[in-house]
Amino acid sequence: MTHPGLPEYWVYLIWGFMLLLSLAMILKVNFSTFSILNKPDVPFASFKSAAPLVHLLSKSRWLLFVLKVIAVAFFLLVIYAGLMGTPIPERNIATVLTWNIWWAGLILSIFFLGSAWCAICPWDALASWHVKPKLWLKNRVLKLNNSLELTPPKWMRSVWPALIMFIGLTWLELGYGITTSPYATALLSLLMVVMAVVFMAMYKNKAFCHYVCPVGRTIGFYSQLAPVELRPINNQVCLDCKTLECFNGSTDVDACPTQLVMGRLTQNTYCTSCGNCVQSCPDENVAWRLRAPSNEAIKSARPHWDEAWFMLVLLTLTSFHGITMMEFWEDSLRSFAQVIGDSGQLLTSFSLGLVVSMVVPVSIYAIVVEASRRMSGSTVTYKKAFTSLVFVTLPLAFAYHLAHNLNHMIRESVGASQLFVNPLGTNVSYSGVADELLIKNSMLLSENTIFVLQALLMIFGFWIAIKVLQHRSTVLFAKAGLNVLPVMVFIIAVNGFHLWMLMQPMVMRIGALCVVPSTL
Amino acid sequence: MIFKNKKAFKLFSFVFILFFSGQALAHHVLGRPAYSLNEDSNTPPSMQVETQIGSYFVTYMVYPAFPKPGERGRVNVYASRIDNGDSYDGEMSFKVKNDVMFGDENEEFLGSQQIDDGVYRQGFEFKDNGAYIITANFEADGEPYTIDFPLQVGEGSGMRPVLIALAVIVFMLISVNVIQRRRLMRDKIRSLRDGSSEDESTTL
Repeated sequence: MTHPGLPEYWVYLIWGFMLLLSLAMILKVNFSTFSILNKPDVPFASFKSAAPLVHLLSKSRWLLFVLKVIAVAFFLLVIYAGLMGTPIPERNIATVLTWNIWWAGLILSIFFLGSAWCAICPWDALASWHVKPKLWLKNRVLKLNNSLELTPPKWMRSVWPALIMFIGLTWLELGYGITTSPYATALLSLLMVVMAVVFMAMYKNKAFCHYVCPVGRTIGFYSQLAPVELRPINNQVCLDCKTLECFNGSTDVDACPTQLVMGRLTQNTYCTSCGNCVQSCPDENVAWRLRAPSNEAIKSARPHWDEAWFMLVLLTLTSFHGITMMEFWEDSLRSFAQVIGDSGQLLTSFSLGLVVSMVVPVSIYAIVVEASRRMSGSTVTYKKAFTSLVFVTLPLAFAYHLAHNLNHMIRESVGASQLFVNPLGTNVSYSGVADELLIKNSMLLSENTIFVLQALLMIFGFWIAIKVLQHRSTVLFAKAGLNVLPVMVFIIAVNGFHLWMLMQPMVMRIGALCVVPSTL
Repeated sequence: MIFKNKKAFKLFSFVFILFFSGQALAHHVLGRPAYSLNEDSNTPPSMQVETQIGSYFVTYMVYPAFPKPGERGRVNVYASRIDNGDSYDGEMSFKVKNDVMFGDENEEFLGSQQIDDGVYRQGFEFKDNGAYIITANFEADGEPYTIDFPLQVGEGSGMRPVLIALAVIVFMLISVNVIQRRRLMRDKIRSLRDGSSEDESTTL
């Protein structure tokens, strides 16, 4: 079964907006005069109705613990159902909860809550409970430490391991077809927990979250576009602070798991929203606040080589997800397999397709950066231009990822509540045409609402990408005019390609009557 | 010796084994099934594998996709030559075994079939839940062809992965504890030694 694509009139509207905005940028219109992106950050404390709730959420360790317990309970249910339940993917809670609800909903949650998921992540919770368990007694906290607390080797202290894991996860998801196998989904869940435990038992702080976890890093990079952040209330208090409880921890509260110093924090990338800094700060100087979305990606995020590659690959793999869910993908792959003599699972053909899908956009990006650099006559190094301009890819990837996942979330989660009654899918039959009708008639949002949201997201992504380009090219090349045309064409081409994919009928991930593209 | 160091020799051996093991498996394919249903029908879905094996293009279907114990099912196999599209018309035999990494595979013969309207059909019925592999064998141009097809019957019944994961975690934690104790002992001995040498130097 396939989902209908975005109607043409929406696409024309988005294209019109894209071209107008591009023209405005070339004509050097200053967006900042009418931009909401320049609004100052607002602490949640200033919202009288929301302040107590936000304060409770960030200060109460019991509430966080309860949320972690709930997340772990669902996670264990996924493992149990995956191993013991029906192999019919849409009838087993393991596959539906993991791929339709969690994986799709996770990206949506970043749009509102930033990296909040990391705070209740069951992989990390289980690892912490095993390796560094804590007991809150009446007057003291009893801490056990089963970690060797080694310093991670230098090669690991980057996002390269997470990048490799991310590519591996995509391969398993789309190539091996793990989304259609409850058993394989359970195995992957177990593997992630084992890895989290092993890394925590070996290395200090949370090396797994910081360097290895592909989900955490994806959340981290996308969180640069989130409208919330944990930051100091008064920067001067942080500047005067000599004890750095946020970094070192206190007697009751652990240190920042990813070794961030609140006074110097400018980007969300490595913040896991655990709230340790809020709890440990003796001056109560750390709080959640609302900010203009994407300000971080536009201005404050600093470019690094490994992070630039992660962002680029994030874009390519997000697009690749879309490609594999097109109806033509399976036939093309089969034809390609016949040419190279591949057979069986067609994993060689798939792997080559994956590599090509990464190499082509990255090469084009590399060329357009060089072209812009030359056109500007700037003396800035290629590496600096490459890492600085790469932030344009982030909103493009995020917007498409959200628009794409809306389909999975809204259309394929219909009837998911029934799975909580029978999570193992015991004695259930296959989905049928009746399920198809049910999906069409019981969606949480109407089809038109989905289209509107998708269109708005694509406009949002493009707008932010142009803002990023405008700001960063001005800083980099001292001016932003015709010299950024190559990168702008790249942005238009990527967003245009994403739009085209949204127009096409999209194959369901695991839903009823599924014909899954990844199952070759 | 051609290889001056062991590393190069090991690398060559690995590549050699990898290359030639691939050649040896050329006519033995383990396919991953595609779970699909014709959208025009309301029948339960089938599992399907399409594969190129030697000179043949083989399509292999199991119906229903996820049979339950006691439910009758059927395997359909279509085999045609890649070069001219001619159907294979010899005999085809089918076997079944437990899909286990370790332990008793308990292989059983399902039957031999002749082509019927371009298709080989083999019926089956499983009594118990479990993971099985159905194997189709045929011989063409003097070469044997084998196609394995994994099949899950009924619900899963394996908590073994959980036990393995727990074993790894427990092993890790015990190892860390042992190393921590050794570290502690070493530190104690070192501090004692430092203390005694300080005493000696004070005496002197």
